[in-house]
Amino acid sequence: MRYASYIVPATALVVIGAGLACKPPKTQEQIQQETQAAFNEGVQAFKDGKARDTNPYVNDKENPHKAKAWFDGWDKAKADKAEADRKAAEDKAAADRKVPEDEARRKSEAAAEAARKAESEKLAAYRRAAEAALKDINFALDKSAIRDTDKPKLQAVADFLKGFPQAKVQIEGHCDERGTTEYNLALGERRAYAAKSYLAGLGVAEGRLATITYGKERPKVQGKDEESWLVNRRCEFKLQ
Amino acid sequence: MNRWLLGLLLGLSQVIWAQAPTQEVVLSASAGSKLGIAVPSPQVAGIGEGQAKRDFHDVLLRDLEEAGPFAVLKDRQPKAADASGVKAWVEAGADWLVSVKLGRPVVEGADRVARTVGDELEVVAQVVDVKSSKAIFTKKYRGKDAALGRIAHSLSDDLVARLTGEKGVAGTRIVFVRQLSPLIKEVFQVDRDGSNVVQLSHHRSLTLSPSVAADGRLAYMTYKGGPPEIWGQRRVAGAFERLFPSKNGPQGPCMAPAWSPDGKRMVFVQGDRRGNTDIMVLDVESGRARRITDSNCINTEPSWNPAGTQIAFTSDRGGTPQIYLMEDDGSNVRRLTVEGSYNASPSWSPTGAMIAYVSRFEGKFDLFVYKLGEGKSYQITTGVASSESPDWSPDERRLVFSSGSRGGMQLYATDLSGNTLRRLTDFAGCQSPKWTRSR
Repeated sequence: MRYASYIVPATALVVIGAGLACKPPKTQEQIQQETQAAFNEGVQAFKDGKARDTNPYVNDKENPHKAKAWFDGWDKAKADKAEADRKAAEDKAAADRKVPEDEARRKSEAAAEAARKAESEKLAAYRRAAEAALKDINFALDKSAIRDTDKPKLQAVADFLKGFPQAKVQIEGHCDERGTTEYNLALGERRAYAAKSYLAGLGVAEGRLATITYGKERPKVQGKDEESWLVNRRCEFKLQ
Repeated sequence: MNRWLLGLLLGLSQVIWAQAPTQEVVLSASAGSKLGIAVPSPQVAGIGEGQAKRDFHDVLLRDLEEAGPFAVLKDRQPKAADASGVKAWVEAGADWLVSVKLGRPVVEGADRVARTVGDELEVVAQVVDVKSSKAIFTKKYRGKDAALGRIAHSLSDDLVARLTGEKGVAGTRIVFVRQLSPLIKEVFQVDRDGSNVVQLSHHRSLTLSPSVAADGRLAYMTYKGGPPEIWGQRRVAGAFERLFPSKNGPQGPCMAPAWSPDGKRMVFVQGDRRGNTDIMVLDVESGRARRITDSNCINTEPSWNPAGTQIAFTSDRGGTPQIYLMEDDGSNVRRLTVEGSYNASPSWSPTGAMIAYVSRFEGKFDLFVYKLGEGKSYQITTGVASSESPDWSPDERRLVFSSGSRGGMQLYATDLSGNTLRRLTDFAGCQSPKWTRSR
């Protein structure tokens, strides 16, 4: 019995020890969970600024997967950060380049816009002036003499041409539908020349006045009455 | 004072003259002196009777009516089956009886089965002088279905030649200007009977005043380059090219070209940039042009005489547009028309004996013919609307012109009596017709 006091605890120890020594093997699922956990720890360790050789599992010979997963996590975190840094640097560089370009473009666009606006306002003013000044003059039947009532209109044409020294005008001579095609072409030529010659008399350089005859080929209105015929016996002044 | 009075009296007498232009109408051969011709419906085999009527018989009847020397029997015709019954035809007024057989030629093969040959039609025409009962003309024509109209024209021309010894004009064509849109006019041609409208110029611009040479070459004025220029063909069936102004020649708008009868020269009109227009004669081969009028006025609408030695033209040198004649070097200018305040658009007839023109009377224009031998004018049309641009048929029997009776200008042709006035077109916007044998 005296040995019983040794045997019983010893046995107990053996039993417990055996129990401890014969732990059941880990399942696949457990290993995966441990791997993931170690991986996350590695990631966190990198983020916390710990060195790579602080891997706590490096000496755990029973769980080599933990050590490997920890290293993988740390490496991945480092690679991710390097990539993110590179990208950020690139973006920054691009942004740095872009700023002066945008600035320059904005400036030139604004200038062009202003110029365009000024130009179109000028053009619009020119067109308005032309529209106001370039009115048809009309003629008596078979005649090409300038009528007294049309002289103020020709003065307005001359004033317009003096106001816009770049402007050139083509004078179109037209006839009403009566009479022959060819004779009316000749008559239209006469009417255009009569207007040109009158404008030259008002001081407009002849080089700024072209003439063309359309005879009766391009009537302004289609009616067959005195009023329509008078409208069609005309000179038109067209900007060139 | 006396001179004032005299001037006033002269002026008054001119006004009175102007109010009374010649109203006489040319009377050509009346129906009584024409040859009565009967053309019963053809005997048809191998094609539809409707096709034969539309494409051949109707065409032939119209050709014969417009030809001039025939009075075509229309009513009270004996049946074709009675063709041998001479008396019935004489009573109906026929001098000639034209019998036509129309079909596909048939041959009997070695197997004694009749077959049609090819895809051609055969037209056999026989003319019997009714009074003597003798066949005086027999001819066979062949052609595809589409050529039936041309065959009818050939037969009509052959009958005219048989009767008069002259060449008929049934197969001739008319070149004219047609408006395609408000800013575009182009040169077209149409058969004498109004069929086969074909566009000739393609400038998509204002193109006017066509002229056709005796060999078919075309010329016209066009605005395709801005101011009007003369364009045309230097060679038969050649490309259209600019004929005037040339680079080194005088500039100014060019209008109203007309080929000389020999086709070597061209008369046209050029503006002098001082509002005047002058007649120019161009040597087409060398490109050199000579100004043959030089006055401070309008000179335009030149028309050659058939010998190519004189030119008729319109000028306002006397104050109003009138027709003048001159030699082709510009000498010997003399005024032709003396009545009226607007005489223009002269067209010299193919034999040189007459000049057709237009004259304004009571605000509208009518066609007149001036007979040079008589020194007198005859009025041809008395329409309610203006008639313009007369031009002669090659046989001098008819005039083609444009007139705007209803909804725009169309083409018409008439004999000098006005008895066979026909409209050629069924579309508006037509002007400046020129009648030609050469296209």
